[in-house]
Amino acid sequence: MAKILFNHVYKRYGKFEELAVNDFNLEVEDQEFLVFVGSSGCGKSTTLRMLAGLEDISEGEIYIGDTLVNDVPPKDRDISMVFQNYALYPNMTVFENIAFGLRLRKMPKHEIELSVKRAARVLEIENYLHRKPRELSGGQRQRVALGRAIVRTPQAFLMDEPLSNLDAKLRVQMRTEIISLHKKIGSTIIYVTHDQVEAMTMGSRIVVMEKGVIQQLDTPENVYNKPANLFVANFIGNPPMNFMEGRLQETDGVLEFQTRRFALRIQEKEAHQLRNHHQLVGRTVIMGIRPEHISFEEIALQASEHSVVSGVLHMNEFIGSDRYYHMEIGTPKMVVARAHPRYHFDEGTQASFAIDMSKALFFHKDTEKLIND
Amino acid sequence: MREVNNKMLRRLYWKRREIALAIKRFDRSQQLIVLFLTLLSVFMLLPIVYILNHAFKPLHELFQFPPTFIVRNPTFQNFIELLSLTQNTFVPASRYLLNSIIVTFLATAGMVTTGALCAYALSKHKFPGAKIVFGSIIASLLFAPETIAIPRYVIVQGLGIMNSYFGHVLPMIAMPVGVFLIKQFIDQLPNEMIEAAKIDGSTEFGIFIRIVVPMVTPAIATITILAFQNAWGNAETSTLFMQDDSMKTLPFYMATLTSNLANSVARQGAAAAGALIMFLPSLIIFLLSQRKVITTMAHSGIK
Repeated sequence: MAKILFNHVYKRYGKFEELAVNDFNLEVEDQEFLVFVGSSGCGKSTTLRMLAGLEDISEGEIYIGDTLVNDVPPKDRDISMVFQNYALYPNMTVFENIAFGLRLRKMPKHEIELSVKRAARVLEIENYLHRKPRELSGGQRQRVALGRAIVRTPQAFLMDEPLSNLDAKLRVQMRTEIISLHKKIGSTIIYVTHDQVEAMTMGSRIVVMEKGVIQQLDTPENVYNKPANLFVANFIGNPPMNFMEGRLQETDGVLEFQTRRFALRIQEKEAHQLRNHHQLVGRTVIMGIRPEHISFEEIALQASEHSVVSGVLHMNEFIGSDRYYHMEIGTPKMVVARAHPRYHFDEGTQASFAIDMSKALFFHKDTEKLIND
Repeated sequence: MREVNNKMLRRLYWKRREIALAIKRFDRSQQLIVLFLTLLSVFMLLPIVYILNHAFKPLHELFQFPPTFIVRNPTFQNFIELLSLTQNTFVPASRYLLNSIIVTFLATAGMVTTGALCAYALSKHKFPGAKIVFGSIIASLLFAPETIAIPRYVIVQGLGIMNSYFGHVLPMIAMPVGVFLIKQFIDQLPNEMIEAAKIDGSTEFGIFIRIVVPMVTPAIATITILAFQNAWGNAETSTLFMQDDSMKTLPFYMATLTSNLANSVARQGAAAAGALIMFLPSLIIFLLSQRKVITTMAHSGIK
């Protein structure tokens, strides 16, 4: 169990290619469950592989505990890794797969037996120990891969999209199992995923990455509620946040967000911030609002009468607990609103909805950074 | 007893029924193809039937016209002749056989080992010039052995390994087909498997022996057969590099049995027996690893 430290880490593949990882600085706390999330090719796996020692570090330093591991081979870094495609050894039984690392470390035979059995019990794969990997289902295989990782009790577990080969239902189940596994063994886990739901549910902190750069490092709540920039706001949350471009305008002592079609009154608390710190009045900004902060309810329409917009319902998606409406309101992109399933409008009808302006986020148009934090 | 017979009969009946049903399920054109392929495979079998029978034919049957396929009065006379032929000479036939066995064993082991090691390095390791190395290995497949016979001779002579087992084995060890085939197999192994082993603490050689080799046994089995056939039937090194008769191998001896004489009529019986001896080991090796080889062929799409 140990801290992990990235100190100005860079990764460059070709001499003339773009940086795969660009000035990566991060301190992973002991026993933390840290999640790297980002779209494919954002450098999250590369970072993990550099930590594992499977890729060279172009520049910078990586510490595991107090040791600088830049030039330490993977086997001496005291880490274990779970891969997306399980990477089990097909020619060995489950038992042998799990015991492989222990045997190579010359552990006495009876201890190997004990450790493997213990790991198998934790993961509930005791009954499959004599099978070959090809005789197991995807979920069982991933459990074996986890078993191979936990049996050695390393300093840190690295997991590279371990659930993305599983079907949706199993993925949810394994997700909770990995969370409880983390609670049980209490060691540092660094988890890479492109799935923002996984990132939100599993991580104690999330690292959102794009183009090799950390966009935001924070708790799931903060990443969701206070995204640092447009990329994070867009990436986290499903369906994604709605964005509209407009101008901040002061009329009769009230700050408004104006587009060509409508004007929304900004509440005094936010308005104060926008006025004072940023001198943005009269300039174009991007407003972001999450689907759940748009409401069709009568009470909401009355309460926020200065931020009511009407639009044409284009499409509705019923997902059981909620219904998502896609609406045409004159902005280039459609606005998605979450509604209670009992609100059922026909497609093509006109409807009014209220925007909860206290939840609205404003971003600089040029820097794409969050303004009102 | 009767019960056992009944059981066997019943099983035979169902087996035949199964085949009959399977054939019925084919449409007309498929039935024709099956028929054609069956005939073709019988035709392909003829040389093997011929060689098996030929070795046991007495002299008058060997020269019979029109020739016959099936032996009428089988005899071991040919084998006795083959062995007694050289009894009085300086080098007995058994010496050639021993040389052949030693050379074949060493060469096959050498070909397979170097081929697999080379393929692993080329497939899973990135090093400068890897592509050029692999490219030149593939290019070397294009040269007929005759074109490099003279440079090879010069090298073997320069190394001072004429008239030794090394002279037989070394020129054979490089086997481009082997490298190519095994590399194609190793390419298909996921990199993560090797990385997992690295993290588990395995050395490079450990990964090769414990993970890679067991995964590519079909390719290795195929290459073993090809290597064995190459080495077992190879008369070239005996002709070129061995002046000492006691270092020559069986294929060379087989060639001298008939073709070095003015006519190719004499010693036909000994030649037939020798041909069978030459052929049998290949057949046995093939039958032993047949199943694995077939997976290779299905996989790789070559040969």
